[in-house]
Amino acid sequence: MSSAEDTNNWVGKSLPRKEENRLLRGRGKFADDIKLRAMLYLRFVRSPYAHARIVSLDTSAAEVLPGVACVLTGAEIAKTTQPFIEIGPDPFAKIKDYPLAVSKVRYQGEPVAAVVAESPAEADDAAELVQSEYEALDPVVDAEKALEDKSLLHEDVGTNRVWNGVFEYGDVEGAFKEAAYVVNIDRLHFHRFSSTPLENNVVIAQWNPKDERIYYQCNNSFPSFAIQFLAAHLGVHIDRIRVETSDIGGSFGIKITSYPQMAVCALASKKAGGRPVKWVETRSEHITSSAHGNERTFRDTRVALDKNGVITALVSRHIDDCGAYPRYEPLGCVIWSQVFPGVYRFKNARIDFSQAVTNKCPVGPNRGYSRMQHLWFLERIVDICAHKIGIAADEMRLRNYILPEEFPYTTPNGCVYDSGNYPKMLQVAKSLFGWDDWKIKQAAARKEGRLIGIGIGTTLDSGTNNFGQSQIVNPFLPYSGNSQGANCKLDIYGEVVLAVGSCPQGQGHETTAAQVVADVLNVHPDLITVRTGFDTERNVHTGFSGTYASQFAVSGLSAVHGAAQKLKSEIKRLAAFALNTKEDDLEFGSGAQGPEIRAKSSGKSINYWGLSNLVNANSASLPSDLYEITLNCRYVWRAPFKVPDTKKKYGSLTLTYASQLHVAVVEVERDTFIPRILDYVAVDDCGTVINPSIVEGQVYGATAHGIGAAVMENCVYDAVGNMLTSTFSDYTPITAMNMPKVKYGHIETPSPHSYSGAKGMGEGGAAPIHTISAALQDALFANDIIIEDSFNNADSLFRAMAAKEIRHVVSIEKRI
Amino acid sequence: MYPRAFHYHRAGSLREAASMLSEFGDAKLLAGGQSLIPLMKLRYANPSHLVDLNFIEGTSYIKEESGVLRFGALTRHAEIEASTVAGKIPIIHDCAAGIADVQVRNRGTIGGSLAEADPSGDWATVLITLQTEVRCQKSQGDRRVQLTDFIKDAYTTALAQDELVSEVVVKVPPKGSAGAYLAFKRSAPVYPTASAAVQLTMDGETCKDAAIALGCVGLTAIKAKDAEAALRGQRVTEKTIAAAVEAARAVADPQSDMRGSVDYKRMLAGSLVKRAIDIADRRARGEQVEAGHIYA
Repeated sequence: MSSAEDTNNWVGKSLPRKEENRLLRGRGKFADDIKLRAMLYLRFVRSPYAHARIVSLDTSAAEVLPGVACVLTGAEIAKTTQPFIEIGPDPFAKIKDYPLAVSKVRYQGEPVAAVVAESPAEADDAAELVQSEYEALDPVVDAEKALEDKSLLHEDVGTNRVWNGVFEYGDVEGAFKEAAYVVNIDRLHFHRFSSTPLENNVVIAQWNPKDERIYYQCNNSFPSFAIQFLAAHLGVHIDRIRVETSDIGGSFGIKITSYPQMAVCALASKKAGGRPVKWVETRSEHITSSAHGNERTFRDTRVALDKNGVITALVSRHIDDCGAYPRYEPLGCVIWSQVFPGVYRFKNARIDFSQAVTNKCPVGPNRGYSRMQHLWFLERIVDICAHKIGIAADEMRLRNYILPEEFPYTTPNGCVYDSGNYPKMLQVAKSLFGWDDWKIKQAAARKEGRLIGIGIGTTLDSGTNNFGQSQIVNPFLPYSGNSQGANCKLDIYGEVVLAVGSCPQGQGHETTAAQVVADVLNVHPDLITVRTGFDTERNVHTGFSGTYASQFAVSGLSAVHGAAQKLKSEIKRLAAFALNTKEDDLEFGSGAQGPEIRAKSSGKSINYWGLSNLVNANSASLPSDLYEITLNCRYVWRAPFKVPDTKKKYGSLTLTYASQLHVAVVEVERDTFIPRILDYVAVDDCGTVINPSIVEGQVYGATAHGIGAAVMENCVYDAVGNMLTSTFSDYTPITAMNMPKVKYGHIETPSPHSYSGAKGMGEGGAAPIHTISAALQDALFANDIIIEDSFNNADSLFRAMAAKEIRHVVSIEKRI
Repeated sequence: MYPRAFHYHRAGSLREAASMLSEFGDAKLLAGGQSLIPLMKLRYANPSHLVDLNFIEGTSYIKEESGVLRFGALTRHAEIEASTVAGKIPIIHDCAAGIADVQVRNRGTIGGSLAEADPSGDWATVLITLQTEVRCQKSQGDRRVQLTDFIKDAYTTALAQDELVSEVVVKVPPKGSAGAYLAFKRSAPVYPTASAAVQLTMDGETCKDAAIALGCVGLTAIKAKDAEAALRGQRVTEKTIAAAVEAARAVADPQSDMRGSVDYKRMLAGSLVKRAIDIADRRARGEQVEAGHIYA
């Protein structure tokens, strides 16, 4: 029996996941596993056009088909509901976003009607019978063209520019005056891709006519956000909406914005007299019309450098493409600035940031959301400047990295990087990689005419947002800070039960949360029951609860730790009474009858059942001054944030900054132009590691996702807004067969901002995209090719190499 | 997505299946279902009747008889992959072992693949470099059709409306002949971007005969006759290979899609021919060389 406080035996161990038994044996419970009595099935009828006026929509044949319960159209629901809340300021509040298109459609795949039937097959049959007629409008598929406002998506707004803001810090003009080099980059482009969770979106909704309550069973990954949108849209009190999630087969942020489909299912249930309505998204629906990641174009970039290649200033104009409806946007217009200077030391910068609506699928916060686009941009700048000036890519980074001794580091825009050591990560990566050997091999291969490049990508995964940054995009928004709730209790028989407000999708929250509680109470993690999955009625959530934005290790586990500490102090008070001793005489541990508290002086002990019994079932012996003890402890953790200065766009926007440094060798095969990854190293620093095997798993997952994005996965639209990659045959998500062997390494720079030193790390900062772009740049620079796009497959590399004229997108002014 | 309602029939024999086709008219045959079922789920194909061939005895086999290999129409790709008999023609193993993914190979059939005549299918490209006959069954009688005559156009074969494939017969190449099949694909479940099959019959240093076919770069598999002529009767040298590659590129007629642009596919087809010639040549000399599907 150990007496140490917070013995920290379990945190830091590669404890196998508690979830494994259920998930790996196929015994998980996912939303589509739920079958309810009298359940109906919903199918959306979707627009084949990207931009068109709805001339007519005839649902009469569908409505009379046997088995059909009801049909909903946009025009019908617009009569009884409010458009969804817009996060952006005026005039964008004029955007009318309904979950079914009302008078016009704005992207291919936008739902225009929903049919509800006794079986999925009958719903499909009925959907085919909905007759629609459209009058095509000029589609806008390019964000830069959208800003010309020749064809408007939302006429009431009067422009396609959803948001614009200038982020300026330091003395930009002064730095350019003193620059030894100025590098101009005409255009860089970060492509549109998405996530392909194994499980698509699923919603089951019941609108109970008895009490006007709405019950959702679904896999939305940020339910506390969704219910705020749903309540206002549907016109019901938020406490009447219950959302329950169970196991979720991946989200990567894409399932945050499923609230429009959730709304339709509830309205369908209401129309069908309260019967439960289930919608299971098909894969093609998911690819064409759930949510995509943000596409971004970087124009007119100018970089000032001193004679040593140290970047001193940066000017650029960024245009983000958010698709047809902003939804979670324009939050992305500020979220990128969490990593404003990336891992670099420059102080002077001006970025003019705009966001445009286009006739494409709305975006959602896809893994690495908004920051990865910016971090890729910065990494491209570093490599392009290095090549143009003639400095090696590793040396260029060492000259520009924020130095280890500068942490905590305040960025030009007031963010505080908690900890990090980028030069050390580079060193670890190089040694795992065999950097010097590869340099020799590369030189030899180049002599044979082979196109081999070595690339470095350094990136950040900022976690635990300050929602106050939303006030930078709209000063009237009532959000700031961040909080998470947890509840830790001894149940009547003394079981330790922990409930959290997160909805994990494979991140192992049950395991890491149990590790934390196990250390606080000094019991085995197997003895702790962890209830994950969001449930409004479990009463542990706050307005920020969900699983997104790399934060559970910090916000979630801080709440868990706080709740466990609270329970521990109640247990102590109670045990001191029961064992007739002082609190400091007590030790926590396990005895013959399970977890117990023992008095060191007398050797007497009381187990958890005994303690719980005193409170719950044998309370006559309890003195009244202990009545306030419930052994049922809710704790809300709040992040120590201030509201940022919205005018200066200055303030602490995120609590922790995990970092990733990847190195790759990529060969562009001369005869196929396949970018073949010959070697790959991923080094991660997420501060103090709670569970090494879970962290390593996340790194592999994020690496696969990033490599997929870099060379395989691209959401392609043609000139009129048809999505050309609506199946896996065309979108080609990465598979194991496409993965190189990844060498994994890590360092730990504990965060001073979290109680445990941990940092959120689930998103991974899209390091592979930066790394592969860098390696390709290194491979092809001698052929005068600049990697301008984040997506590079064999075909695009072939076309770049075969192009008769070299495109001069980069120029350098030397002033020394 | 769910298919439209259809009538399901389980055929007891190939002959009965053929007569069901003529009886029902709007009917489709279900073999491995790897093309048909996805099309039905998406409601691109909506047959009123589905005739299931999977319960017919004796339709799945690989036999060697007097200089030919006989493949029952319902022989799965995976069975061919695992067969030592089929392995006698290495190019057949190259193809069978890499078609799509394991699930598809376990279900998909050689007869179904040829009858579907998808421009991106693997089998036709490989089998037109060999001497291949397709046996076609009607409710009364059957016939044999050379594979080159069997495939007419994209998704179009010589099969009559009431006719189906019963067997695929491939002549075993002579001694000194070796082939290689290479298909470049982006990930396991997708069709290749381009593919090339090369079968060389060597007589010492001289290429006595060459068969070269391109896949996925036209409406059907393309026999690259000029490329064959560039090698036939010649030594396999850098120069003759280059001529064959150029001739192959010239005959490629690809379409631009998400797998690649026209120019890229044409370039790639030639590069695959070059690699396949090299492997076939080395195999003809008795070298063990890997070939098959290449991943990006």
